[in-house]
Amino acid sequence: MSARSGPGLRAPQPRTEDGPASARSGPAAPQPRPKIRTVSGPDTRSRRQLVLMLAPYLVGLVGLVLVPAVVTLALAFTEYDLLRPPAWAGLDNFTALVDDPIFRVALLNSVVFALVAVPLRVLLALGLALLLHRRAVGTGTARTAALLPTAVPEIAYGLLWLWLFNPLYGPINQLLRIGGEQGLTVLGRTPPQWLTDPTSARAGIILMSLFTMGETFVVLLAARRALPRDVYEMAAIEDATGWDVFRRVTLPLMAPVLALLAVRDAIASLHFTFVPAFVVTDGGPPPYATTYLSLFVYQTGFEYLRYGYAAAATLVMMLLTVAAVLVQWRLIRRYRRLYTF
Amino acid sequence: MSGLVLDGVSAAYRGTTVLHEVDLTVERGELLVVLGPSGAGKSTVLRVVAGLEPVTTGRVHIAGRDVTDQRPGLRNVSMVFQSYALFPHLSVVENIAFGMEVRDIPRRQARERARAAAETVGCAGLLDRRPGQLSGGERQRVALARALVREPDVFLLDEPLSNLDLALRVEMRTELRALHDRIGATMVHVTHDQTEALVLADRIAVLRDGRVEQVGTPDQIWRTPASTFVARFVGSPAMNLLPADGALRPNGAAPELPDEPLEIGFRPEAVTLDAADGAPATVERVEVIGEDAYAYLTVAAGQPVVARVPAARRPDKGATVRVGVRWADTHLFHAASGRRYAP
Repeated sequence: MSARSGPGLRAPQPRTEDGPASARSGPAAPQPRPKIRTVSGPDTRSRRQLVLMLAPYLVGLVGLVLVPAVVTLALAFTEYDLLRPPAWAGLDNFTALVDDPIFRVALLNSVVFALVAVPLRVLLALGLALLLHRRAVGTGTARTAALLPTAVPEIAYGLLWLWLFNPLYGPINQLLRIGGEQGLTVLGRTPPQWLTDPTSARAGIILMSLFTMGETFVVLLAARRALPRDVYEMAAIEDATGWDVFRRVTLPLMAPVLALLAVRDAIASLHFTFVPAFVVTDGGPPPYATTYLSLFVYQTGFEYLRYGYAAAATLVMMLLTVAAVLVQWRLIRRYRRLYTF
Repeated sequence: MSGLVLDGVSAAYRGTTVLHEVDLTVERGELLVVLGPSGAGKSTVLRVVAGLEPVTTGRVHIAGRDVTDQRPGLRNVSMVFQSYALFPHLSVVENIAFGMEVRDIPRRQARERARAAAETVGCAGLLDRRPGQLSGGERQRVALARALVREPDVFLLDEPLSNLDLALRVEMRTELRALHDRIGATMVHVTHDQTEALVLADRIAVLRDGRVEQVGTPDQIWRTPASTFVARFVGSPAMNLLPADGALRPNGAAPELPDEPLEIGFRPEAVTLDAADGAPATVERVEVIGEDAYAYLTVAAGQPVVARVPAARRPDKGATVRVGVRWADTHLFHAASGRRYAP
């Protein structure tokens, strides 16, 4: 104990000698400085502290993420059903995936979802952030309302939408039927059969995902509020229109944050389709209209007990994520070169 | 016709009145400096003129037009912010041309004029850089060019020199004055720096707690300060103020004094330390600044007096001197109101 507390107590001393405190104390400071300690002491000690503090996280990361990931990676090249030991299958799983119509549908569903839902979510969050960044009556309530759906537990959120989507007594279709006759909309069309029509079901899942953009909204709200006010006053003096201000000032200044959020959302989009598809549509309606990669992996692994095959699909999902990130990263880097604060 | 008229303008910020019925007239082509300590409402004057803050009472006229109810973009003013407010994502030339491009002036023409404006203020070599790559002085020039380019009716400059180091500030001060003389624009320049005000201004308006304390040429502000506030705010070290019936009696022909308490004010350079009939005083400390020295004294009654003396003939700390001042070098103020007393 004493051996460790000794240098620990002495540690601040050498630091203050170079610090601003000594600069103020003037020429009366030439004390003998323990040279060897200052050079090696705090450095190794702070490194040890760093490792200690990171340890719980690292243990969790290795035990709960890294090892399972490596196991998954290995399982992807085997056939494994939990009963018999894994059998080496080489690339069989992957060639099977390529020929699997359900997997192809799931892949397509996931990609389409990401391409449609991610921009919509970011745009919605941006719109709300720009609407609600000023102090005005009701903005506090409105901000809370925008954030609230994100705070609802996912399963409860799914069950809630199951009710909202109900074609007969669900409030969405009741709303659409207002003004129409014989259960039709005002335009004389049948309201969407959310859970039985493939296109409506896909749209429904996207609709569900739009309201959970709370985190994106909060980040964008903070980003907008952090932009300098004088730049906007400058634009006002120059008589820039609202559109000009948005296009020439707000959007470029928020672009780095927007890009980052889009990357994050694209990564997350492969996951946040799972609960809606699982709870609300159960991957249907036929033919697999809302079976996304995440649900495909879940069903293959835990319902059909094809672990090796599921692992291979997971690997594809991961590669897809990496590819999406790389593409966006390149775009951001190209943009960032124009950007020097 | 006046370039800018503020007619009984009051303004409030979050329920607190920060300008109290301010009357100001800036002639066309004049450079008016609004001078005052922080919190005096200087920047609010500019913001009210630009339309960034609403007035609670009064009218604002720019070049003969009543612009009180017009939005900022229609007032034809340009402003240089203390922070410069450059768009960080735009290059220098894009920054300068911004105002023209949002006003739908063709890009080629806007760029051409931006180039010309940049040449006027000496930043033509920076056109392709971004604000993040510029020094403080360079940003200042870009902000100036951006203000110049549109040929507005009034230029509003909000402490544009305060973020520069001293040497650059002095240089830019001179350039700013030269620029004003060259283009002959109506300018309102806000500063808390009295030297800057005295050097730059055609006229100075001294602001205190949202009220105009005095408007006058630098000479008038210096020689006939309208109040003790102006007297002490302009000049460094500040003017000495003592009760007229105190220990220190100025010498020479005394003016006619009324039967009410007065304060006499005199600048440090008016003080002599070897007057035969002067008041005895003790030297508390001495500051030497090159050729000059400032002696901080306490006269018999305990009042502080600052004297400027040549550094070569400065008194020693703790020495006793005899403080003298001539009536001709003094200013008289009503003790109660602080306003100037003119005999």
